[in-house]
Amino acid sequence: MTTRRLAAGGRINRNKVVNFTFNGRAMTGFEGDTLASALMANGVDVTARSFKYHRPRGIVAAGIEEPSSYIELLGDDATGNQPATVVPLTEGLATKSVNCWPSVDFDCGAVNQLFSRLIPASFYYKTFKWPNWHFFEPLIRKAAGLAGPPPTPPVTGRFEARYWHCDVLVAGAGPAGLMAALSAARAGKRVMIADEACEAGGSLLSRQQAIGGQPAADWVAGVVAELAELDNVTHLQNATVWGYREHNLVLVNERRPDRPALLGRNWRVRAGQVMIATGAIERTLVFHNNDRPGVMLASAVQTYINRYGVLPGQRAVVFTNNSSAYEVAAQMRAAGIEVAAVVDSRSSVTGQESALVEGCEVLCTAQVTQAHGYKRVNAVTVRLASGQTRRIACDLVVMSGGWNPTSHLFSQSRGTLRYDGETCCFRPDKPAQPAVCIGAANGDFTLAEALSGGQKASGTQGGVVPNTSAELPYAIEPLWHVDDLPAGAKAFVDLLNDVTASDVHLALREGYRSVEHVKRYTTGGMALDQGKTGNVNIIGTIALKQGLPLDAVGTTTFRSPYVPVEFGAIGGVREGSVVLPYRHTPLTQWNIDQGCCMYESGARWRRPGYFPRAGESFQDTVNRESTCVRTGVGVYDGSPLGTFELKGSDCGRFLDLIYTNVFSTLKTGCGRYGLMLSDDGLILDDGVSFKLSEHRYLMSTSTGNADGVYQWMEKLLQTEYPQWDVKITNITSQWANATLCGPKAREVLAALDCDIDLAPEAFPFMTFRDCRVSGLPARIVRVSFTGELSFEINVAPRHLLTLWEKIMAAGAAYDIMPIGSEANHVLRVEKGFLSLGHEVDGTVDPYDLGMGWVMSQKKPDYLGKRSVALRRSAGETTRELVGIMSNDPNDMIIEGAPITPDGVRAPSEGVVTAYVWSVANNRSVGLALLDNGHARQVETVYVRMKEKVSPVTVTAPCFYDPDGARLRS
Amino acid sequence: MTYSVHIQQRGLMALFDLKGTESALLDWCTLPPFPSAPLTYTTQADQELMAIGPEHWILRAPLDQEEPLLMVLRPESALADLSIVHISDTLCFFEVTGPDVSEVMAVATPLDTHADIFPTKGATFSEIFSVKALIIRVDGGFHLGVDRSYAPMIADYLARTIAD
Repeated sequence: MTTRRLAAGGRINRNKVVNFTFNGRAMTGFEGDTLASALMANGVDVTARSFKYHRPRGIVAAGIEEPSSYIELLGDDATGNQPATVVPLTEGLATKSVNCWPSVDFDCGAVNQLFSRLIPASFYYKTFKWPNWHFFEPLIRKAAGLAGPPPTPPVTGRFEARYWHCDVLVAGAGPAGLMAALSAARAGKRVMIADEACEAGGSLLSRQQAIGGQPAADWVAGVVAELAELDNVTHLQNATVWGYREHNLVLVNERRPDRPALLGRNWRVRAGQVMIATGAIERTLVFHNNDRPGVMLASAVQTYINRYGVLPGQRAVVFTNNSSAYEVAAQMRAAGIEVAAVVDSRSSVTGQESALVEGCEVLCTAQVTQAHGYKRVNAVTVRLASGQTRRIACDLVVMSGGWNPTSHLFSQSRGTLRYDGETCCFRPDKPAQPAVCIGAANGDFTLAEALSGGQKASGTQGGVVPNTSAELPYAIEPLWHVDDLPAGAKAFVDLLNDVTASDVHLALREGYRSVEHVKRYTTGGMALDQGKTGNVNIIGTIALKQGLPLDAVGTTTFRSPYVPVEFGAIGGVREGSVVLPYRHTPLTQWNIDQGCCMYESGARWRRPGYFPRAGESFQDTVNRESTCVRTGVGVYDGSPLGTFELKGSDCGRFLDLIYTNVFSTLKTGCGRYGLMLSDDGLILDDGVSFKLSEHRYLMSTSTGNADGVYQWMEKLLQTEYPQWDVKITNITSQWANATLCGPKAREVLAALDCDIDLAPEAFPFMTFRDCRVSGLPARIVRVSFTGELSFEINVAPRHLLTLWEKIMAAGAAYDIMPIGSEANHVLRVEKGFLSLGHEVDGTVDPYDLGMGWVMSQKKPDYLGKRSVALRRSAGETTRELVGIMSNDPNDMIIEGAPITPDGVRAPSEGVVTAYVWSVANNRSVGLALLDNGHARQVETVYVRMKEKVSPVTVTAPCFYDPDGARLRS
Repeated sequence: MTYSVHIQQRGLMALFDLKGTESALLDWCTLPPFPSAPLTYTTQADQELMAIGPEHWILRAPLDQEEPLLMVLRPESALADLSIVHISDTLCFFEVTGPDVSEVMAVATPLDTHADIFPTKGATFSEIFSVKALIIRVDGGFHLGVDRSYAPMIADYLARTIAD
């Protein structure tokens, strides 16, 4: 241990030595230390290098507001950009400084300081334009910034995200938060209290106060013990409330949860009421070199002395504009720090304040204008009331610029803030959600106010407010930066982002008058800081320069996250194989066992793409499967198709409403193909619906749109047609199907011991039959997506694998093959059948696709009818579905490629929606949406691709069996 | 295991989706007593009748009661104002029980499963790992009914939730 550690005191366990490393150097601390307190005790002055200028930086604060000492954790704890002030010291902790090379003590990046006049705020917006920003970006990001992400994921451990509900969420376990939580809990409310520190108490652990006649820490221990006994309380420490969303959804990041396997846990808490007891953050004072190691916030110095038993320096100058620094100065002296002077920018101090520092020189109407030293402050220059300057030697500058309520969460909840001239800070004003700020977070800075505020906010009589020790009344005169800052002074308003008062002035000179614009121009208050220390000084600097009151300048928007949060904690268990949802059919494992290439093909279903055989290329496989269907028989798993049962006396007119053609005239056992339009007359979905019996229909939708169509139908029925008797049940997963397709499909089905007459006249196209297949109850539907004779055999999913294996056995004599979605794609393109996401891309109506026949002229109205009429009457050019064939039959064109006039780089006149090798035509064919395409058949148009321009001939959008004889066979 | 729970993927159960008024359903078939409160269920002879929406119920029973129930409910001939749909294969149920069941549920669902809010005999549709699910409170834990197609993914999620 070094001499910086006090011989006694603090809330550290001196019996438990903790070993750790910093920049490769072995050090020790005590259990209960933070990394910052341990570094300070070990005599470390320079902890990091600054963001832009690579200036040496030391520890400034003691909590989450730390703007300078961001640290990278290594090894099992690997993570970047952690404030050293909130990292608990643990055995074996390995850490290093950020943004420096080769070391924090000798950093080559410090050369930036020589060119600082050339790289003011936003210089990169103006400078790096040619050839483009991305050319310079990697170098700039390497030269300026903080730690990168860990190179590898954690070896062990994982994250968790969870939901929680409570009547009251208390953010912060300081005096106000503990009092509020205790009162609400005693009243029987479900309470969650979350606090960012390792132990509860907040400022009470750092100050020497009394509550109820006992040391405040004892009161804290009593409250914590009582909360622990209550079943209706969830108490989290080391857990920061970092986001506040709509409907009182509050996000809490818990570090090091009580489960060994968990690295972190994110709570999504839905709270009835939120009590924001996040305390206040002390402001820095803005003077030249106010970032030198050894320049610290007064509250931080108090914390290091009282909580961690560390002396931040030996000889100090206290610089303040308010009364709160006097308590700190007194405790510094009691701990053995020589206070060379108290420099107070106010014109006078009260007797109570003077009494606290009796015997110490107090300089009123004075300002510290400059700190001296490089890697550690060694003196300050003070401008006295007379205007004269004086240099005072010191190794510690203790600054207090006043207090800002930590109103970030309140602001995130969209509550408003107002400037209070008496306390010189922005205080919470009007809430937008059930949220209330209490204690210092509300601008009530005394302990008595904090306790009574907490009790009052709970709305209960659950706790008697105890007496507190006497305090100085809070008195302040604003000082947003010291007077007469010289040009080029490095007087930082935002230490984290290396933003100086001069940068703010530059932004104003360049016309960025809004505080939001100044923020973006300078980056002040952005990123990890989120205005914890810098914002109000920036606002004050703007106000001073513009001659405005602070409330006329306003605040910027506080954004979440309030503190850095690991992506892992947000994602929780959603990683690896479940990072995206996936769905299986009963045949998924069978397909995998066959060596099938599986991938998602709509609505998260993992489906077979193709079934390769040894030695086959992708195209070989697709050709083989396609040929199999055209000449023999294939089978595919059609289970994912959206399927719904509609029941009720108004089903007929409901189908007439949502489809463009007539369905109410369907005969039982028959089906019809239809299109659904959105309100704007564009195609929403297509599918086939069958009439099962009177008032009972079976509807199929596209796979990818099934959920959307279901929601859309329910919305219509619940909001626009609630009086209609239509009940919809999603039965997509109640039926699974194996679809036989190909000219030999009937033979295979017959071989499956099917108990119905399969003759075309007995079982025609677009009908269904309930029957038994191989002894299994089944519903066979005659529809076709391939253009071939098809039988869609629907069974309960529990039977599909059995059915499938019987099909493969029965079909072996006919060389049956399973086919994947790639072959299906080829077959439907040959037929010109539309596919959602390809030809139906949200821009076309039925006429564009040559399907005007599906627009009923008999029905008085249906959804989208009027919009289509309006669209057509405008006479504007629309893209219409056509077939295309490359002039070179072997030429393959990329799907999605644009068609441009003469193939030049120009606005497109169309897009290739699909292009495949057609086994039926022994050449490549495709479909496209082309401006006025229907009138341009036989015309040559040009597909423009990255490597080439391909001329293609426009044709009708059907390349196989245009009369449909085969599918009806 | 991170959490002390027992997770079991259950076999098929007989399930029927019932829509219509109570009186119309009672006129049509015999059912367990209708729940007196929404989002709860009643039990009779191993059959559970869950009130999961306005004029919307789900009847659940052991699989061996499926055929007898089909005979009783007669879905295909139900009157126009009733919708009775056989949905046994749509949902796959996971049973989650054990001392830490509330911890696992907190990870899995945004539903407030606190006993004061989601009481004994509670049943409702909500989400499990962002997938629509029927959540039923049972002795010592919950049954989570998810679309059969999502069952492998939900099993994957649950395993990840309790993994060390």
